[in-house]
Amino acid sequence: MSYLLLVPILAPLVAAGLAALLGWRRLTAYVTLAAAFAVLLSGAILVHRVESGAVFAVGHLLRADSLTVTMLLVMGTVGTLATWASVGYIDAELRDGHTDRAGAHLYAVLLPLFLAAMALAVVANNIGVMWVAIEATTVATAFLVGHRRTRAAFEAAWKYVVICSVGIALALLGTVLLYFVSLHAGASSAHALDIDTLLNNAAQLDPDVTRLAAGLLLLGYGAKAGLVPFHTWLADAHSQAPAPVSALMSGVLLSVAFASLLRVKSVVDLTLGTGFLRAGLLVVGLLTVLIAASLLVVQTDFKRMLAYSSMENMGLVAIAAAAGTKLAIAALLLHVLAHGIGKSLVFLAAGQLQAAHDSTAISAVTGVLTRSRLVGVAFAVGLAVLIGLPPFAMFASELSIARALAGANLGWVLGATLLLLTIAFASLVRNGSRMLLGPPQPDAPTIALPGTVAAAMVTGIILSLALGLSAGPLTALFQSAATQLGASS
Amino acid sequence: MSLATYTGVLDLTAGAFLLAAVLIVWRRELRSIVHLLAWQGVALAAIPLTEGLYEGNPGPVIVGLVVLVLRAGVLPVLLLRAVGTADAERRESTPLVNTTSSLLITAALTMLAYAVTRPIIALDQAAATRAVPAAFAVILIALFVMVSRRRALSQAVGFLMLDNGITATAFLITGGVPLIVELGASMDVLFAVFVLGLLTGHMRRAFGGTDLDQLRELRD
Amino acid sequence: MTTTVLPAAAAELGEGPRTARLAREAIASGLATTLLGALGLVLGVVAIFGPTRHLRIDWLLPLAGVRFDVDPLGGLFIAVTGAVAVAVGIYTVGYAQREHWARFPMVVLPLFVAGMLLVPAAGSVPTFLLAWELMAAASLVLVLSEHNRGAVRFAGVFYAVMTQLGFVMILLALVLLSAAAGGDAFTTIAAHADDMSAGTRTAVFVLTVLGFGSKAGLLPLHAWLPKAHPEAPSPVSALMSAAMVNMGIYGIIRIDLQILGPGPQWWGLTLMILGAVSAVFGVLQATVATDLKRLLAYSTTENMGLVTLALGTASLLSASGAPDVAAIAMTAALLHVLAHAAFKTLAFLAAGSVLAATGLRDLDKLGGLARRMPVTTVMFGIGALGASGLPMGAGFVSEWILFQSLIHSPPDGNTLLALAMPLSVGAVALTTGLGIASMVKAFGVGFLARPRSVAAEDARESPMSMLTGMGLAAAACAVFAFWPALVAPALRGVLDALPEVGGDTAGVQLATFLRLPGIDGSLSPALLAVALAAGVLLAFAASRWGARHRPAPVEVPLWACGAETLSPRMQYTATSFAEPLQRVFDNVLRPDTDVEVTHFAESQYLVEKVTFTTRLADPVEQRLYTPVVGAVIALAQTVRRAHNGSVHLYLLYGAIGLLVVLLVAQ
Repeated sequence: MSYLLLVPILAPLVAAGLAALLGWRRLTAYVTLAAAFAVLLSGAILVHRVESGAVFAVGHLLRADSLTVTMLLVMGTVGTLATWASVGYIDAELRDGHTDRAGAHLYAVLLPLFLAAMALAVVANNIGVMWVAIEATTVATAFLVGHRRTRAAFEAAWKYVVICSVGIALALLGTVLLYFVSLHAGASSAHALDIDTLLNNAAQLDPDVTRLAAGLLLLGYGAKAGLVPFHTWLADAHSQAPAPVSALMSGVLLSVAFASLLRVKSVVDLTLGTGFLRAGLLVVGLLTVLIAASLLVVQTDFKRMLAYSSMENMGLVAIAAAAGTKLAIAALLLHVLAHGIGKSLVFLAAGQLQAAHDSTAISAVTGVLTRSRLVGVAFAVGLAVLIGLPPFAMFASELSIARALAGANLGWVLGATLLLLTIAFASLVRNGSRMLLGPPQPDAPTIALPGTVAAAMVTGIILSLALGLSAGPLTALFQSAATQLGASS
Repeated sequence: MSLATYTGVLDLTAGAFLLAAVLIVWRRELRSIVHLLAWQGVALAAIPLTEGLYEGNPGPVIVGLVVLVLRAGVLPVLLLRAVGTADAERRESTPLVNTTSSLLITAALTMLAYAVTRPIIALDQAAATRAVPAAFAVILIALFVMVSRRRALSQAVGFLMLDNGITATAFLITGGVPLIVELGASMDVLFAVFVLGLLTGHMRRAFGGTDLDQLRELRD
Repeated sequence: MTTTVLPAAAAELGEGPRTARLAREAIASGLATTLLGALGLVLGVVAIFGPTRHLRIDWLLPLAGVRFDVDPLGGLFIAVTGAVAVAVGIYTVGYAQREHWARFPMVVLPLFVAGMLLVPAAGSVPTFLLAWELMAAASLVLVLSEHNRGAVRFAGVFYAVMTQLGFVMILLALVLLSAAAGGDAFTTIAAHADDMSAGTRTAVFVLTVLGFGSKAGLLPLHAWLPKAHPEAPSPVSALMSAAMVNMGIYGIIRIDLQILGPGPQWWGLTLMILGAVSAVFGVLQATVATDLKRLLAYSTTENMGLVTLALGTASLLSASGAPDVAAIAMTAALLHVLAHAAFKTLAFLAAGSVLAATGLRDLDKLGGLARRMPVTTVMFGIGALGASGLPMGAGFVSEWILFQSLIHSPPDGNTLLALAMPLSVGAVALTTGLGIASMVKAFGVGFLARPRSVAAEDARESPMSMLTGMGLAAAACAVFAFWPALVAPALRGVLDALPEVGGDTAGVQLATFLRLPGIDGSLSPALLAVALAAGVLLAFAASRWGARHRPAPVEVPLWACGAETLSPRMQYTATSFAEPLQRVFDNVLRPDTDVEVTHFAESQYLVEKVTFTTRLADPVEQRLYTPVVGAVIALAQTVRRAHNGSVHLYLLYGAIGLLVVLLVAQ
């Protein structure tokens, strides 16, 4: 059973190797899809196993608990949708001349490497290895962001690499300081950064240096999660990247970075008490939601609009983590999963709109529901998921986050957050109605829809509905993850 | 070597490390700051080398040599390749903060670093740990360099200096992080610089220059 | 409008398979709505008289589970919604075919009814919020049915944002309640209500009054009503005005009157003030509205204001120690909810009939429909009579009971009561008076006299299904007008479940004679109707008596003040009818009037054309919403300027963050 933990890392690596040899073709694209599906399967098989305790593999090098499995499920689901859509998407790009064979080859190699790096980040037991994996995702996605080779794409790639790398460097400093205090608490040098070692020795860690390390790790992993103050790369990178990559970055990478932060939080809370990171996450989360909501009001570009929506959701997730109760953590994980599926759905639709209009301006797109039923419905359903309407899952997760915040005596925070979310809601609805409703302009281009993109969209719609009705076995998984992270009741 | 020699050499290298950073803030030619970065890499490598020689442990010596090759050799060479040959390219454009103010800010940041690292020194009284404020100061100065320089390459140098500072901190307080982390971190830095270098090349082709003020098209 | 395209479209479609498919879908949609409505009606009535029914589904709605508890109070509102849906469903069969609805709105219509039926049945906070949002989402889709028109899209977005704002307030209030009570179920919250701090209770009260009040169309968050209701298709407007706004009232009764008890005196006073202001404002706007559906929408605000006034009276009297009069006020509130559902449904369905026949909502262009659409005219007349509160109208009995409760409040030296009651009486009187004016305008200008436009001239009566739907609603209006005793047991059942507002006292006895035992008032609407009918017959007989000895009537041309002919444009229009009132209330209404005189090119002294434009915007919208929206946009612009694309600035933000962290970690 423990070798199952190697599958999420090795399967995408194999796909990347195959792509490096053969270039972009149907075979390699479908092997990548199979790898993403393998990640999903391995997570699904482990669901029941991890509820009773963590699973280890390769000695103590890899570790899976309920949080890991949740992140594997998110990664697998969104990864499957994104890689499936990539098949038709890249073929269409090649046909339209937006990229060449070399670009497609690079895409084919980097996408599974990206998946492998994220998988390593969630199954690693050593938080130093976790750091390496997160930094590797920056490197892997840098050229994915710049895929289209336009001026805007390069600008986005530069800002992404620079700002994220600075942030993640601060996280490295925090990790070094954590290693320092762990050694001083008596851990052996080979295992000082292991999660279980840190949890065991948490009470003996020096509080002052831990406080410094925690602050740095909050900044650093917050940078990769799109939280203030290193949030400024998000809109540029997510809007310039090709749609399947945006879906993966918005839907999974932000959450994986936040999951790393949650791991650190579980250790720091034992050392310092919950007060320090609770205050830090509240400030960071509220500022992030404020900035995201404000920038959504003045948006004129629909992909940037979706990126700011991701930022807003990450801010909400940070606020939920600050509350720290069992319900809050479980709701946060449901939110991450629901957001992943909904965001990929809407990004895939947006990608098709961009391909049709060769522009991402909101004013350029009108009457989508009339022009293309499936793209319009996918975009509408995705937006409905994001604004928190039932019967989709983000309604349930936002409701539960609200209940958790009220129960944790954070009523004022909840009120402010809800107000900001309403402002974001207004922008999304207004822009959505401008794009979807009404009669199309007479010279509007036809919206092409490759087969695999359509299939991925339909699957996404069905999954969103299903998750909104019932979480099934996932409820127990989320709750056990909350308990394992040390959430208070 | 004796403890006094060890402490002296350590303090010297830490001082040289910090001095390189301050000189990078002062100088404006791109080639000179890359050279200064290389010297900083030497100072960085000296720390584990000294520790290894003092303790008679081959591990840190090997790490030190690898760092020397990488930070003082490979990376500066890659950066020099990315510097253009045209004369206009060789100088930094007018910085955002003038030199006098930059040096004043650098001094302030150094003092801040001393204040911030007090809990670390309080925990471990070893000689190496007492040199940590210098490494921390380099981190803060590196951030300042990245904020205040217009050229893409200067930003890359600043980033490398940031990483040097963090690596120095790691060496000073813990004798290096686990090998696998150090390896991974180095690889990541290498790739990051590679990426930045390539992007600089693309930028020159697409924007006709490497002044970062041109990168202002993506905004709301 | 779709109807002006109708002849051409009909010619295109012909009798082909498309028409047949449209008919099938319309029948399916209408039938589903009616069946759901009937189910709701039955379930509601059963719940009022039987024990509370429970249903729990733990696996539905992730992390929360769903729980339904149907008690008498919920049952009443389910029954009302169901009854409205029955009439609307039958009406839709014909309307959807007339207006060529797309398939999606026809599918969503029964879902909307289902959502509305679920809201009063909810027994826990998550279930309530789920049902509320389902209802709101479905109604939004239906409002956007004709999204090809710009006005519809604007109204839809406006409606969506305001609904969300209301939802957010309700969400905040309910989660605060459940956190303070330690549980999600309404029964748990009710059990712990007395232990909650005053701060929590106040916060919940303020939030629920604003949030539920917005849904009910009360000021200050009412502005979505006059925008969304006119742009929605008429059956949807009927459902929204007659059934959905009741959910706001239900929320206020459930949370603020039942669960949190009667509350301190200022709660009742707040509700009374809010209700009175909404009523007067709503009727004022209705008086000067020239769009028929906008008039009816503001009339909804007015009526919900009256209901809230009654609720506030009940709460205030109950807190002041007069539970028997409080029960009377409560009866007035509930009866008015029922009566309003009846006459508003009828009015909107009739307005929809006019819209389908002429393509017009503008009263200034209608007229002369009495000859061409006699049944619709009679239907609208019954509805307008009900809305005006005159005797023999559906709203008369409830308003009379309300007056009685206000006049008979105990004079125990309570200054607050001594001030509040007479002022409320004045407000209700003013509302009724202006209401009569607005309904006379709507009926007289819209249906009587001569048609003012070609479209009104070409009007034809609606198909049987639409008339049947209106007939059902008219029958309900007649019941409330003449025989309210029919609903007496139901009201008694609901009041028994509301001891907080005096439900355990004798209250009102609704029989052939309406008796108010506590205060010695009585009324018999049925006898009034009989007396009136007898009087009319007597007058008719008297006029016929001497008819044989009088000369036969002769037709002569009308005197046209020297002009050659009378044109229909010389009749009173809605604007001119309301002009005196508009002048009186000029400071409140603030109309934007523009007179443009065009002279002949050759001479400055001869006038070619005079154009008069008057625009009446909603003053609350102008003075409250616009500044708030402006402030939000200003904040957004500031944040935008702070993100100018410079990577140095972005890194600076990060550096500042690092400095803050380093300083805080000391």
